Amino acid sequence: MSAPSRVGSRRSRLVFAGGVYLALIALTVVFLFPLVWIVGLSLKTRLQIFTMPPLLVWRPTLENYAGVVHSADFVQAFTNSLLVSSGAVLLSMIVGVPAAYAIARFPFRGRSLLFFGLLAMRMLPAIAVLVPMYVLFSKIGLTTTRLSVILAYTTFSLPLVVWIMRGFFEDLPRELEESAWVDGASRYAAFVRVVLPLIRPGLVAACILCLQLAWNDFLFAAVLTNNATRTLPVLMAAFSSGDTGVEWGGMTASGVLVILPVIIFSFAAQRHLVAGLSSGAVKG
Amino acid sequence: MHGAMGGGSAAARLGTAARRARADPRRRSTSAWLDRQFARLAVLPTTVLMLLVFGVPLLFSLYLSFEGWSPEQSLFSGRFVGTDNYQDLLSDHAFLGSVAITFGYTAITVASELLVGLGLALLLDIDLPWISLFRTVLILPMMITPVVAAFCWKLLLDPDHGIVNYLIGSNVIWLGRPDTALLSVAVVNLWQNAPYVAILLLAGLRSLPSEPIEAAAIDGASRLQMFWHITLPLLRPYIVVALLLRTIFEFRAFDNIYVMTNGGPANSTMVLSMFTYLTSFVDFDLSMGAAASWAMLLMSMALCGLFIAVIRRREPL
Amino acid sequence: MVALNRRRLLQASIAAGGVLAAPQIKAQSKPEKLVYVGDNGPWHWVMVEEVAPAFEKATGIKIDFTLLPVDPWRARLRTELGAGSAGIDIVQFSVGMAGWIAPHMEDHEKLLPALESHGPDFNWNDFLAGTKKAATYDGKLTGIPYRITTGILHYQKALLEQAGVKPPGTWPEFLKAALAVNTPPQRYAFGIFGLQGAGMFVGWNSWHYSNGGRLLDFKTGEVFINDDKGVEALTFYAELNTKYKVVPPEAMTWAFDDIVAGGQSDRYAMVQMFAPYGTLINDPKISKTGGKWAWTTVPGPTSPDQGVTWIDGHNLGVPKYSKNKEWALEFIRMACGTQWQKRAMVRGNAPPLSSVLGDPAMIEQIGWPPVAAKALETGIPTPANPVWDTLEMQLRSALSQALFGQKTPKQALDDVAADWHRSLRRAGIGRG
Repeated sequence: MSAPSRVGSRRSRLVFAGGVYLALIALTVVFLFPLVWIVGLSLKTRLQIFTMPPLLVWRPTLENYAGVVHSADFVQAFTNSLLVSSGAVLLSMIVGVPAAYAIARFPFRGRSLLFFGLLAMRMLPAIAVLVPMYVLFSKIGLTTTRLSVILAYTTFSLPLVVWIMRGFFEDLPRELEESAWVDGASRYAAFVRVVLPLIRPGLVAACILCLQLAWNDFLFAAVLTNNATRTLPVLMAAFSSGDTGVEWGGMTASGVLVILPVIIFSFAAQRHLVAGLSSGAVKG
Repeated sequence: MHGAMGGGSAAARLGTAARRARADPRRRSTSAWLDRQFARLAVLPTTVLMLLVFGVPLLFSLYLSFEGWSPEQSLFSGRFVGTDNYQDLLSDHAFLGSVAITFGYTAITVASELLVGLGLALLLDIDLPWISLFRTVLILPMMITPVVAAFCWKLLLDPDHGIVNYLIGSNVIWLGRPDTALLSVAVVNLWQNAPYVAILLLAGLRSLPSEPIEAAAIDGASRLQMFWHITLPLLRPYIVVALLLRTIFEFRAFDNIYVMTNGGPANSTMVLSMFTYLTSFVDFDLSMGAAASWAMLLMSMALCGLFIAVIRRREPL
Repeated sequence: MVALNRRRLLQASIAAGGVLAAPQIKAQSKPEKLVYVGDNGPWHWVMVEEVAPAFEKATGIKIDFTLLPVDPWRARLRTELGAGSAGIDIVQFSVGMAGWIAPHMEDHEKLLPALESHGPDFNWNDFLAGTKKAATYDGKLTGIPYRITTGILHYQKALLEQAGVKPPGTWPEFLKAALAVNTPPQRYAFGIFGLQGAGMFVGWNSWHYSNGGRLLDFKTGEVFINDDKGVEALTFYAELNTKYKVVPPEAMTWAFDDIVAGGQSDRYAMVQMFAPYGTLINDPKISKTGGKWAWTTVPGPTSPDQGVTWIDGHNLGVPKYSKNKEWALEFIRMACGTQWQKRAMVRGNAPPLSSVLGDPAMIEQIGWPPVAAKALETGIPTPANPVWDTLEMQLRSALSQALFGQKTPKQALDDVAADWHRSLRRAGIGRG
């Protein structure tokens, strides 16, 4: 809903439109400038970076990116991030989607308890579950493995999947499954062959959001991995918390490479992203 | 919903197959039983996983918080100390300080995110050409890995070489002074998360009915009046959800602070997550860390409960 | 250098006697790399850029250096060693950490024969007695000392002469000198570790000890830090920033790298910090102020003899859980041996080897060793009790708050004392 174009005279409408564009451009500049500047830093040599006053026009260099891509550490961390994120998403989707369907469709005993439990899971601070998780995992020898990180990630990705998918399932008219049941199909078959295909946008949204959260997580991975299994955020934090030193080119280049996959992925499926965020949100 | 046609024919196909299957008496009883158990089986994996990664650790943490325990010992051989850990926690001024800072930080960031997010949403809701371009571009900050955003901002805020100081022309040591450090971290958070609020509220705005606005327009109301008296009240449920979600997330903020200030200077950015992390993994006092975690948990549950109670009371459902 | 020969190494290990059980040796294949976890202080260059490549050339094994800021470094060692994980081969730890890390480390006393069997380059007798003691906890030698540090006063000679003040030996002289050479905003008088981090303790404690202050008694649990001497010392230190303003404002963000960078870019005329940092600020190749520095022991409140400082340092050790102990030990032998330590000293290390520290050519070139030697005679080592790390963290926030004027020194130290009492009680030390 937006104010219809009948409000005010033509002139005041133009002034209004102009004002809106101005505000949006200003906001865009404010919000995007830091990003643009950082990308700029990643394309400068060390000398260019520390030149004062700051260079606005320069010959860009890819040496920082080359350095990062050739660094075995970065490649390994990238692989780990990929493995861990997809693992977490897969696990949460396989486990959570049927559960969301059941919660949306069937009143069963303990339904509200389960839902309340998932809600609590979503609200809990990561550190609160990380402390005991570290202790338990270390006693069974799971720490420093990627599996421990995947399991840890389900604490936030599982509730998210159920939350979002429940919204989508509730939006789906019951008639379609019901007609399948009436015709004698089992609930499983109806779920897999009738409901799931219709709910694909929701599945995509849930996948993207979980992927984003898993890719971007730092705290769990920082405690539960070692050099061989660390993910990208852990690698990033290792050389940037503390003093920043002079390696700004390398730092910004690796930063850009870390955020690039999620950005590309999210933009490609942008519609679904917005749908997903708003779906789970309101039907809370 | 779209796809109804496809769904219908799939259902029809299923029905035929199922009717054929029903002829077999043996299959009827087991499959019927399985069918009745569908809901329970569907939620079983979730329940198990929840217990495994959420229930068990939390209960263990509760147990640990009542023990004096150190990592060399085996899991259950700690010494029972009753509420000692909690008492120690409550007498630790660093903990008490971090409670105050966390609440203050949460309040500032949530309020600012809401205001800026609402402004963004209102602007992006307007039907003008190229609005979708702005929409696409403005959600960028929220997709960035928080750790990366934090250290990028650290570079931007560098006193000598950062672009921020250059632009404002003065040499402020943003992350080095107690008064500006928390503010800087809050601003970075605002930058990252206002777009998230904007998306939520935008979805809300788009789902609002248009008749009230149109009626008001006919009656000659100004844009401001329409916003205040119609849009805002209708948007309330969405604002509440945004408020709740952001409060949850800001209460447990960690990544930014870890990278930018590590809790300093002078403990001015020592939020609860940071305090618990330092206690658990740097001090390695895990039983104290468990107590701090539970304190944090209870506080955030109380906060959410308070929220929900206030909402319920004001909205006659 | 003796060429590395696997058979010789194996023989030496077997001779060392049962520490590395025989079946393990035969089964231990050569790893692709060794994981080294240490801090990111500005003194690792020789190890990273020179020793590691030489090691790789001789053995084919890479060293994977993970150099972290202090807190993440501690957390990493705690969590990984605490879980008994085999992911770390070489642990670099500071003297204060010896207490809690001891249970996880091999007994290096038993490994000494293997280390010495390669020739005169590694000579255990050459190591300073104090560092050997500092690396020993509960009767176990937890690692091989690599670096020894102590706090001394670095000052730019010409600046003090121009201002007509002599190198300060007492606190009043120091204050007079500071006020005389303070020329803000181009250059301030005194640099400090202002960041609320691991530098706080070494920044302040020389003043504290010189005033006759004490930290605590680990046996009885008595805490002395907030007595009159402590409060006086903190008042003097904090007022340098809050009252006299002789400290550069950006020093409040300074940890180890930054304080060196500050000296190299001429931001201060005097500083109290690690002796070997003197090499880094005095080297004309990397410092604007190269060649301008001189050194003296920290001043005492009323007489130079009262000046007492802290002694700290770093050790390299092999944890019990590593699967590549022989190779890790071999790297440690190389890095801690005389030849490479001589090279390291030129690039900013302070090896705990008397032959190197006392080498006349070194002294001529580097300058600060005699002052450091004098400071080491009376210096007080950082406590190695397992609970010390916790106590140090609690001290940090108090020092930071006092430096910013948010608490009075007395309030700040009283709070620390309360925190310490609680932590000591939790650790089971002294009376509850």
